[in-house]
Amino acid sequence: MKKQRISVLLVLVMLVSLFGMIHPAVLANPEDNILRVATAYDAKSLDPVAVNDVASTNVMRQIYEPLIDIDNEGKVVQGGASLAESYEMVDDKTYRFKLYEGVHFHNGEELKAEDVAFSLERAQKSPQVQHIFGDIDVDTIKCIDDYTIEFSLKEVNTPFLTSLAHSGGYIVNKKFVEEAGDDFGTTQVCGTGPFKFVSWSKNDRVVLEKFDDYHGEEPKLDGIEIIPMPQPSSRLLALEAGDVDMAYELAPMDLAKVEDNPDLDLVRIIENSTQYLGFNNEKEPFNDIRVRKAFAYVIDMPKIVEAVTSGLGQVATGPMGPNIKYSLSKDLEPHEIDLEKAKELMKEAGLEDGFKVTLSTNEKKERVDMAQIIKNMLEPLNVEVEIEILEWSAYLDALSNGDVEMFQIGWSPAVPDPDMALWAPLSSFTIGEGANFSRYNNPKIDELLLKGRSLEDGEEREKVYEEIQNIILDDQPWIFEYNQEASIGVNKNVENFHVTPFSYQSLFTINFKK
Amino acid sequence: MLRYIFKRIVMLIPVLLGVTFIVFTLLQITPGDPAKAILGPTADAAAVAQLREEMGLNEPFLTQYGRFVYKLVFEQDMGRSYSSRQPVMSLIMQAFPATLKLAAFAVAIAVVIGIPLGIISAIKQYSIFDNTALILGLIGISMPVFWLGMLMILVFAARLKWFPSSGFSTFRHMVLPSIALSAQSVAVIMRMTRSSMLEVIRQDYIRTARAKGQTERKVITKHALRNALMPIVTTVGLQFGALLGGAVLTESVFTIPGIGRMMVEAIRMKDFPLVQGAVLFIALAFSLVNLFVDILYAYINPRIRSQYK
Amino acid sequence: MEKTTKKRRFLRLKEFWRRLKKNKLAIVGLCILCFLVLVAIFADFIATHDYAEQDLLNQYKLPSKDHYFGTDKFGRDIFSRVVHGSRISLTVGFISVGIALVFGSLIGAIAGYFSARVDNILMRLMDILLAIPQILLAIAISASLGTGLTNLMIAVGISSIPQYARIMRAAVLSLKDQQFIEATKAAGGSNFRTIFVHIIPNCLAPIIVQATLGVAFAILTAAGLSFIGLGLDPGVPEWGAMLSEGRDYIRDFPHMTLFPGLAIMITILSLNLLGDGFRDALDPKLRD
Repeated sequence: MKKQRISVLLVLVMLVSLFGMIHPAVLANPEDNILRVATAYDAKSLDPVAVNDVASTNVMRQIYEPLIDIDNEGKVVQGGASLAESYEMVDDKTYRFKLYEGVHFHNGEELKAEDVAFSLERAQKSPQVQHIFGDIDVDTIKCIDDYTIEFSLKEVNTPFLTSLAHSGGYIVNKKFVEEAGDDFGTTQVCGTGPFKFVSWSKNDRVVLEKFDDYHGEEPKLDGIEIIPMPQPSSRLLALEAGDVDMAYELAPMDLAKVEDNPDLDLVRIIENSTQYLGFNNEKEPFNDIRVRKAFAYVIDMPKIVEAVTSGLGQVATGPMGPNIKYSLSKDLEPHEIDLEKAKELMKEAGLEDGFKVTLSTNEKKERVDMAQIIKNMLEPLNVEVEIEILEWSAYLDALSNGDVEMFQIGWSPAVPDPDMALWAPLSSFTIGEGANFSRYNNPKIDELLLKGRSLEDGEEREKVYEEIQNIILDDQPWIFEYNQEASIGVNKNVENFHVTPFSYQSLFTINFKK
Repeated sequence: MLRYIFKRIVMLIPVLLGVTFIVFTLLQITPGDPAKAILGPTADAAAVAQLREEMGLNEPFLTQYGRFVYKLVFEQDMGRSYSSRQPVMSLIMQAFPATLKLAAFAVAIAVVIGIPLGIISAIKQYSIFDNTALILGLIGISMPVFWLGMLMILVFAARLKWFPSSGFSTFRHMVLPSIALSAQSVAVIMRMTRSSMLEVIRQDYIRTARAKGQTERKVITKHALRNALMPIVTTVGLQFGALLGGAVLTESVFTIPGIGRMMVEAIRMKDFPLVQGAVLFIALAFSLVNLFVDILYAYINPRIRSQYK
Repeated sequence: MEKTTKKRRFLRLKEFWRRLKKNKLAIVGLCILCFLVLVAIFADFIATHDYAEQDLLNQYKLPSKDHYFGTDKFGRDIFSRVVHGSRISLTVGFISVGIALVFGSLIGAIAGYFSARVDNILMRLMDILLAIPQILLAIAISASLGTGLTNLMIAVGISSIPQYARIMRAAVLSLKDQQFIEATKAAGGSNFRTIFVHIIPNCLAPIIVQATLGVAFAILTAAGLSFIGLGLDPGVPEWGAMLSEGRDYIRDFPHMTLFPGLAIMITILSLNLLGDGFRDALDPKLRD
């Protein structure tokens, strides 16, 4: 009998302890002044130099500030959420920044030139953002006084100034970072921005709170919660239910639901990234321009883009997005489709019987979907496509080693400057150890890219980049796929949200309608 | 008894070390370079090499494994996640409560529904109720949890809008995932209860109790259920262990920040320390639950104990 | 002696079939399973469309006369994909169980038959594998092998080995000391022969039950792996992958997930029914 009693008791204890775990529901309270945002991905780290992804930047943008801020067109703007009161070029490689006085970090420390020097040195050394800040010559960094800092670049680089707005250039507090050690960016976070870090529970949410001592315009919100929800359908449901006030990256087929909902607004903006189908220009058969051209004549990109993205996003017509300075894309048409011409070109190349080719991609849904359609469209040329899906790091490995024949990837310039948009994916300097995965090697392009980098903005620079784009269009090292479009669902009571084309948003300007 | 428990716990140590070795080996042969995964497409070769060096990826396999075990055993340190730089232990501790809650709720639901249904089925063997419960139980076992979860999202989240479709922060969030995850356990516990009760009901002392003129209700609750409970409790315990490890699909459907989903994402990111830590932790929890069930069983059933000597 | 053993076996098989026949649910399960096997074999004739054929003008079509189960996001015919999917699921189910069965039984038989030391080493190894929940083990193996049908089968197969090893070992241990085994050994039969001719055939009952339920588990695991994106190459009409593809569209086009899900459920149900039937028919204790 005793034994049975024990077992009954055990079951009871188990049940009671279970129900003890139910804590009173903490429902989203529409009355509180906290902005809740559903995003597709969680941040990776909140250390500015440890990451280079939009999900992390989307959080960090509210916590940290760069020296200078840029607008949607990539022009430097004064004021806003940035730290330099003014700047000047000492010579064509040397910059001098005057900082605002009386700016405080979240830990109470005052911002000094020393912190800026420390932040830039960290960025220069960090492998994650070296491609942007590696140009800084660390030996030249000089704190002229507490509020003035000066440094030089190793080489002349016109677009560098705007790249300071990249998250890698966010300014951190030297003392805080040194004390936090390895915990900086995860449990220990401190910037000068309008919101300060409260907590981060991985895959659940990042909680931010208004920073009362903020040097700029006082934030109207009391707090921000950024909540990763990987499923687009979940994001929409949460938005509809009022659990969140904003939802990023809505699915194309859900856009109408947002538009038809009287409580919601849909915000769309073409982003600066260009997705493309790349050829390995070094290897047969794609070292033959006729084959590349033949493919462009049969791969009906508008049809593919429509089928896969259902009208969200825009067919890419050139190597850089339409909103980037000097882009020709707005005036171009998608590549003409002509099966006969394609067959002719294949015949000229001696490949009328077709060949087998591997199309590599990572797991990204749109790419996998497109790959399947591309495979079908190449059948008339007797080209047999095998789709190879690699996990992201394995994919990057294969891309940088040139172990691919055809592949799909996108390039998003960190700042909307043509140099940022074209240098990495097309210059021969970035083959093997950069983002030129198509291994396109054209000395003329290299020369023009170098020239464009050293020129001041103006007509001459514009000419250079127009020429580059025209050469790329003729040479067809890639087939352009599409420019992504942001689709953000916003509750109607959210005011003063200014969308950016950078995939991350400045949420700190928002207030709720009274 | 204490010696038996002690022996079983000691035996866990080589098993868990073996788990770390197997996972370490699996990760080692996984294609892809973690350094590259962290740095992304923009990184140049020098930066990748530098990071590989920092992460100790260039050392021989056994050195890496040895260092991992040394740190684990002597410093209780599982390292830091490659991707987020947070200590693995703290990431696990952030994710585990969600999984634990999910499994616990599912088991609670399974107990509350499964045991009564099983009892009624046993009492009314071959009745319409019994047959219906039997078929429903079979369907419950046969239903893939991710499909059931999707159907529940469709009906209760998308159409009726009663519950949210993702997340795990409030009670409202927990309802759908717990029910979806419990479906199989309800069926398993119900079937176990039924067969265990049937076996007991046929025993002599039940007949005696009935003959003595006790009410049927009393016979069932006081005599039959008590004697049938042991295998049921064991099943419940085993189910709990299985759900702790098996919640990964449910977590994925309802995007719950639990340990299973964390592991799958860590695999995608090539975040080896995190995968290693998550698997080790789940294996530990799973083994401990099973050990607890074994001990309980041995405690109540001395015959088993002697077998284990 | 050989002859009587064979006759005994035949009689047992007859008795088994007699008992199985009495179990209506098991027969239903068997019929469904046979039906599914036929569908898998004749998939090319049953399918109304090429399962890979895309029709971008007919995306997301609801079920109709042209497309019994509707079309998916590429305008592919879901009915044909579900039909072809049966081939993949059954292949994955049976082959991965086959892998687990062969290696598991072998390991179990060796562990049970030979010295305590061999037993110890092998079973501790199995304990290690058992300490990782099976689905996680399958995920880990499949991640390290990469995608593809063969790798998927290997991953699911390896993750189920310990269960068969355990059952086989227990069965061998209980048989080892029985007279007819001793007699064979005394008569100079080799270990190999003793294991294969005398022990394994006599331990088959629990293994068959486990294997039937194991096929169900393997199919579910494979579908689960595909669902979280660790299974097969894209475009392969695997049911779990189809569910995963339909996931984003469930609100507007639930038919994309309804049919593959039903297919999985029916398959698993039939295997469970049959497995339960086998268990009852093979286990004399439960015989009524």
